[in-house]
Order: sequence, then C-alpha cells, then structure tokens
Amino acid sequence: MALERFADVVERFTHGYGNGHTLEPRAETVTQWQEELERVVRRAENLQRMLTNPQEPRVGQTPRQEIYKKNKSRLYRYQSKRTHRTPLLFVPNLGISRPYIFDLMPGGSFVEHMTREGFDFYMLDWGVFGPEDNDLSFEDCVTKILPRMARKVLESSGAESLSVLGYCMGAPLSASFLAAYPETPVKNFINMAGPIDFSKIGLFGLWLDPKYFNVDRFVETVGAVPADMVKAGFKLLKPTMDLSTNLNLWWNLWNDKYVEGFNALNRWANEYVAFPGEFFRQWVGDFYQRNKLFRGEAVFGGRPARLSSISCPVFVVGAKEDYIAPPECVRALIDAVSSRDKDYVELPGGHISLIAGRGASLHCWPKVSSWLAPRS
Amino acid sequence: MADASTVNPLLDMWRKQFEESAAAWTRMVGQVQAPPPPTDPTAFWRPVLNQGIEQWARLFAQTPMTPDLATQWKQFMDQWIEAWSKALGQAMNTDAYAQMMGKYLDQWLVASAPMKKAAEQQIDQALQTLNMASRSQLTAVAKQIVELEERLERMEDTLGAILQRLDHKEPK
Repeated sequence: MALERFADVVERFTHGYGNGHTLEPRAETVTQWQEELERVVRRAENLQRMLTNPQEPRVGQTPRQEIYKKNKSRLYRYQSKRTHRTPLLFVPNLGISRPYIFDLMPGGSFVEHMTREGFDFYMLDWGVFGPEDNDLSFEDCVTKILPRMARKVLESSGAESLSVLGYCMGAPLSASFLAAYPETPVKNFINMAGPIDFSKIGLFGLWLDPKYFNVDRFVETVGAVPADMVKAGFKLLKPTMDLSTNLNLWWNLWNDKYVEGFNALNRWANEYVAFPGEFFRQWVGDFYQRNKLFRGEAVFGGRPARLSSISCPVFVVGAKEDYIAPPECVRALIDAVSSRDKDYVELPGGHISLIAGRGASLHCWPKVSSWLAPRS
Repeated sequence: MADASTVNPLLDMWRKQFEESAAAWTRMVGQVQAPPPPTDPTAFWRPVLNQGIEQWARLFAQTPMTPDLATQWKQFMDQWIEAWSKALGQAMNTDAYAQMMGKYLDQWLVASAPMKKAAEQQIDQALQTLNMASRSQLTAVAKQIVELEERLERMEDTLGAILQRLDHKEPK
C-alpha cells in the first residue's frame, strides 16, 4: 500500500495529474493573472499621463445661447428640436458647485438628454459670487431673480406657460417662487433631490441646529462663506468619500473611458463656490433652523409663500442613499402641495448620481423626461 | 540540633507577625483612595473605532472568497471603507459631536475675528499709502453697479408694463 502511494507520487511528479488533475495552475487563473498584469501596466501608463500631462476636461459642450443676464446670474437656452411646446426652466443650487455637472460630457449629460428628447431647455446659472454680492439674500433670489428669469423664458420661447425643474437647493428656491407668485403660468413642477421638510434633513440639520450653530455670529465674522469652508462642510459629511474615490480611480485606472469621466467629475467636485453672506444667513436660519417654507411661515417680498398654493402637476424624485437631502425630506413636497396630479419616485444612488453618471442616464433622466413629455 | 519546643514558638511568632503585617497592608491599601482615572481625549472616538472594526469584520465574514487576489484586495478595501463610513456617520450623527463642532467653530470665530479685522486694517492702510483703492472701496463700487442694474431692470419692467397696457388700449 505504502509502495503504491509512493509510486503514485512519482507518477504525478513526472507526468502530472491525470484525469483533470494537474499540477499546473488552472487556465482560468492564468488568464486572470495575465489580465491583471496588463491592467497594472495600463494603470501605470494612465497614472503617469495624469501626473505629467494632465488634460483639462472639456465640460458643458451642448450648444447654448445666453438669453439674459442679471449681475452674476445668466439664463441659457440650449439648442434642441423643440418638439414640446412648453419650455423648461432648470433651476440648480446657488453657491456650492458649478452647474456644468448637468452638461458634464457628451453621452453623460442631463441637458443633452433633455434636448434630445425635444424639450426647449433653459438653464439658470446663478454664477460665482464675490464680496460685492454679500447682501444678496434668498428673498432677492425669489422675488427679483426667479420672476425675471421665468418672464425671460416665456418671452424668448413665445410660450404661454413654462415648466420648472429644481435640483437640490434649486427646488426649495423654485418652490418658494411658485408659492409666493401663484399667478406665474407654471404648467409643471419637478423637484429633483430638493429638500423641503428640513426637520428630516439629517446630519446637516443636526450640525446647524441653533443650539450648536449661531448663524448670525458666523456671517458677521466671515462675511461671505468662502468656497473652502463650503468644501470642508461637504467633505465632513462623508469623510471616507475621498478615500473611496481614489481607490475606485486606482481600480479603474486602466480604463480610459473611466479616467475621462473621472477627470470631468473630479474637476467639478473640487470646484466649490462661495455663498453670499445674507443668502447663507437666510438659508440656514429660515430653512434649516426654522423650517419656515414647510411650516407655511415663509414670506418673500411681503408675499406669503405657502406650498399649498402650488396646484400644477408635481413630480418629485428622491435618491435612496442621499445624505444631503434624504428622500423623506424631499418627498414631503408631495403632501404639502394641493396638486391632484402628483408623483413620487425613489431611485437608487445618492445626491449626485441622480444627475450625473451612467445610473442617472439609465434610471433617472428617462423617468423625468417621460413624466414631463405628455404634460408639455 | 534544635529542640522542637524552642522552634515551634518561633514559628508561631513569625506566622503571627506575617499575618499582622498582611492585615496592616490590606488595611492601608484599602484606606488609600484610588487615583482618578486620567482624562482620555480618545474616549469619544474609541467606541467609534470598535464599532468600525466590528462592522468591517461582519462584512468581511459575509463576503465569499475569490481566487483573484486583486479582486479580494479591492473587496477588502471597499468593506473597510464602508465600515468606517458607517461608524463615522453614526458618531457624527450625535448631539455630542454637533456640540463639539459648534464649540470648536465658536472658538475659531472668537480667535479669527480680531485677526481678520487687524489684517484688513493693515492692508487698507498699506493700499492707502500707495494711493491705491482698497478692497472695501472696490466692493462698494461694485455694489453700486449692482444697485444701478437693479434700478434699470425695474424701469424696464415698468416701461414694459406701460407698453403692454397701451397695446391693449389701442383700437384695432
């Protein structure tokens, strides 16, 4: 027996394993290792290129025309087939970041998607504010900028009514405008990841609680909220974000398409915009700390802004893993408005993945355009 | 050779002394108050660290092993980051953390306000000496332009409204 076993060992040593048993590594594993080795080489090449010859990514490539400007704010109209009669005014967040995220790159642009679907797309760019804009308040945006932008959209398009789409802070800004000016001919209102009920806002709500954060003292000391401070606040919200971003970059560094997308998104993600002081005071005080709009206590330019006065069709989109505007805080608009035609969808992903990335182009944008198309 | 009758009392005495001294030591140790525990600056973060490690261990145990070492390393890192993200998220979502952050921010505001003011004054003085406009002067001019633009806009709006009314009144 022992001799037989020894003979087997010799046999295996000299001729390998018979009947599928082989001492050599499996072909699948070898292929995996070869692929990994190739990827390592590609990673090294791309890393070297990124470090030695960084390319400035081209963003915002959809053709557009400036329709109107007011101080730093601009209204752009994008080229499209315009198969839908009702123009769409897109209102993004003020401060924090630049709006080219909505037109990041061909094939990954919300603007491109909407124009391809035939919408007459207008985008409001709030601009980059300086110390001279420190007196600009939330109220000014609602009473002076948004009504004019809406009027300019109607004038430029020749339409009798318009649709309004607010993203992030743009949603409470638009909702305040619609609630304070119910006579504005707004046909549809869409809220994408825009916080409405600030009692459910999550981490920011806790940090900005009046018990711990004195917004008046803060604004009086710093004046405008500098871009670096805005950046620090958002980075603190998800401290591991940079780590996972860099890890994913390393993992996908062999993929040229990924690197191209990363460069564009990374440029946007590191280009923060300051807040005008008065705007920040009102935004934090009246929204985060006192939740005035949701409670029906907001007044802009002497006009009460009650969400119940919004009666047009409303579509609300929340993101399941949104830690900036949690879905329950976004969804609150549905119960607050008096519209009969209202829908809510909750999609996978976070705050940014609703408007940028492959997931957005597959799940979010088609939902928005297909809801809006028959109503436009 | 010593007699047993002389050794036994010696042993007894020695045992008695030993017992008494042990009792005295026990009393003394019992009387001395335990020193207060040293203040631990990491006390807030220790449960977070423990929680992070526990969560990571749980996630790691749930993940199937693959023969691909690189993928395994990536999975390990993803889980590690995810676990820390959750643990940090929970720690930061507490009143204690918000209070701590508010306190630090207040301290920073108190410390930076006079420095900022002094720096601005010095820069203004230096620019004045060089016969150049200061930042505040430039800001004031820019604000005036913004206000002018606003006035023009209002005039435009009023004119537009008047023209519209006139258009409606004109006989067709």
